[in-house]
Amino acid sequence: MRVLAILLLGVAPAWAVLGEYESSVTVDQQYLKGEDREQAGSGYKLHQITAPNGTTVREFVSPEGKVFGVAWSGQFIPNMQQLLGSYFPDLDQAARSQVRRRGGPLVVRTDRFVLVSAGHMRSYHGHAYVPSLLPNNVSAEVVR
Amino acid sequence: MIFRNDSKATLACFLAVLGSTLAVVSCGGSSSSSTPPPVTPVANSVTAEVSAGPAPPSSGFTNFLYVTVTVCMPGTTTCTDVPNVQVDTGSEGLRLLSSALGTLAPSSSTGLPTINDSSGDVLQECIQFEDGTYIWGPVATADVEMAGEKASSVPIQVIAATPAFLVPASCLTLPNNGSLSTVATLGANGIIGVGLFPQDCGGACTSASTSLPAQYFVCPSNVCSVSAVPTNDQLWNPVALFPADNNGVMITMPAIAAGGQATASGSMTFGIGTQTDNALGSATIYAVDEYGNLPQVTYNGVAYTSPNNAGFIDSGSAGIYFLDHVTLGIPDCTSGWYCPASPVAYTVTASGANGTSGPVQFTIANADSLFGNATAYAFDDLGADGGSGPSSDEIDLGMPFFYNRTIFFGIAGTTVPGNVSAPNGYFAF
Repeated sequence: MRVLAILLLGVAPAWAVLGEYESSVTVDQQYLKGEDREQAGSGYKLHQITAPNGTTVREFVSPEGKVFGVAWSGQFIPNMQQLLGSYFPDLDQAARSQVRRRGGPLVVRTDRFVLVSAGHMRSYHGHAYVPSLLPNNVSAEVVR
Repeated sequence: MIFRNDSKATLACFLAVLGSTLAVVSCGGSSSSSTPPPVTPVANSVTAEVSAGPAPPSSGFTNFLYVTVTVCMPGTTTCTDVPNVQVDTGSEGLRLLSSALGTLAPSSSTGLPTINDSSGDVLQECIQFEDGTYIWGPVATADVEMAGEKASSVPIQVIAATPAFLVPASCLTLPNNGSLSTVATLGANGIIGVGLFPQDCGGACTSASTSLPAQYFVCPSNVCSVSAVPTNDQLWNPVALFPADNNGVMITMPAIAAGGQATASGSMTFGIGTQTDNALGSATIYAVDEYGNLPQVTYNGVAYTSPNNAGFIDSGSAGIYFLDHVTLGIPDCTSGWYCPASPVAYTVTASGANGTSGPVQFTIANADSLFGNATAYAFDDLGADGGSGPSSDEIDLGMPFFYNRTIFFGIAGTTVPGNVSAPNGYFAF
């Protein structure tokens, strides 16, 4: 009988993803220790990474090769600092300024950045996207 | 029953697990399909009331449903009543402020025993909610009593306990939006999570793999690292550990005035279909999916599907978080809530995993007008955005949905009255 304790690697470094080029997806995949499944969407490319703990992260890539949106669902919220990269401070600032509505989702809508963090214990979901990076003729609604 | 049967061997095994270490011990499986022995009915209902609560009135907590929970030193009659504990059907487990436990605080020499690993390090837990707020503190065991029900040696979380460790950064995957560690920030003396899952983590936290979630920790030498925790030592929905009436809860709230009320007094009853006072009656059962959500909610011809569009019933939500203001065509007010010019009645169609569907009706009014009634804390028509658009919108039927209704919350893995298939649990109303 022994305790199983796993040391984490600490806070994720600046592995920027949202707004970065597609190559950062590989870094995400390593961080999540997940399997990457790539599929071509209509006017964009989708990488779906399923982490062993069941949380899925979907990263949406424009024809120019930039990640314009990320979405997630699963028992645990993925590390936003790592997923959002240079957009994390936007979230940090918006989260602090939002009026607390207990039990409610975090909804951030600015011209620069949109994020929703929602759900309940044991089932969380959400998405984030950069409106200015949306490919032509692709709706933000695909980021799910 | 989900976890223990009444055999002394199993109970002894359970106590051995709690008393020794976090090590994985098999006690013959976590579920039992055996026929429960006859049980003499006990009082199974407590008062549940929405009120101003224990926080300063200016704190702005509305629609908090409170009960009193009695916690005792395991196996003794040394107990303390903790009033103003928030009822949360959207989470699992009992979490209490250390300050509300008095001499039962684990830091006291007469305090509740903590759950320790084989090195003597105390199990700690960190929960970050979807809005970035978090709860952090050690896990202790207590007997938990409500009405005539008593659950023995329940793992509970103690918030703001001493000694306090720095919250692990790995837990805070969202920005740190504040620790819920005082009455003023929590709005309560604690939270009693009576949701649809038996435990607050389940299999994901027991794994021996390297991908354990950052939820349970041990902190030797002040350095916290993630720890695997068998389900026995995780926080349990206390109801699932009652000897009887352990398959869920029934919450009944009265109708209230459209403009809000200072208080609203209802009840929380333990068990579903186990006694004469908790029969399902004509309520429709909506089995949930593996996420604890309604598989689908339809509004205005659009199907919103789990998990990206989560539909669920959550007494821990102060409002009805329903779609978004663009989709609904109603304005947000500066307070962040919905502010339609006049109240709007909505009907959505809920679908259960067992093939049922039915209408769900609620009203959303102007929050600024409602909050103009400064002495009101119970509102049945408070709403806000549940997302940024159809791809992310949720349908969180919060506390406003509870008034003038009886709602049943069936725990996953229990036998459902009428032999309905609901392996992941169910809502019924």
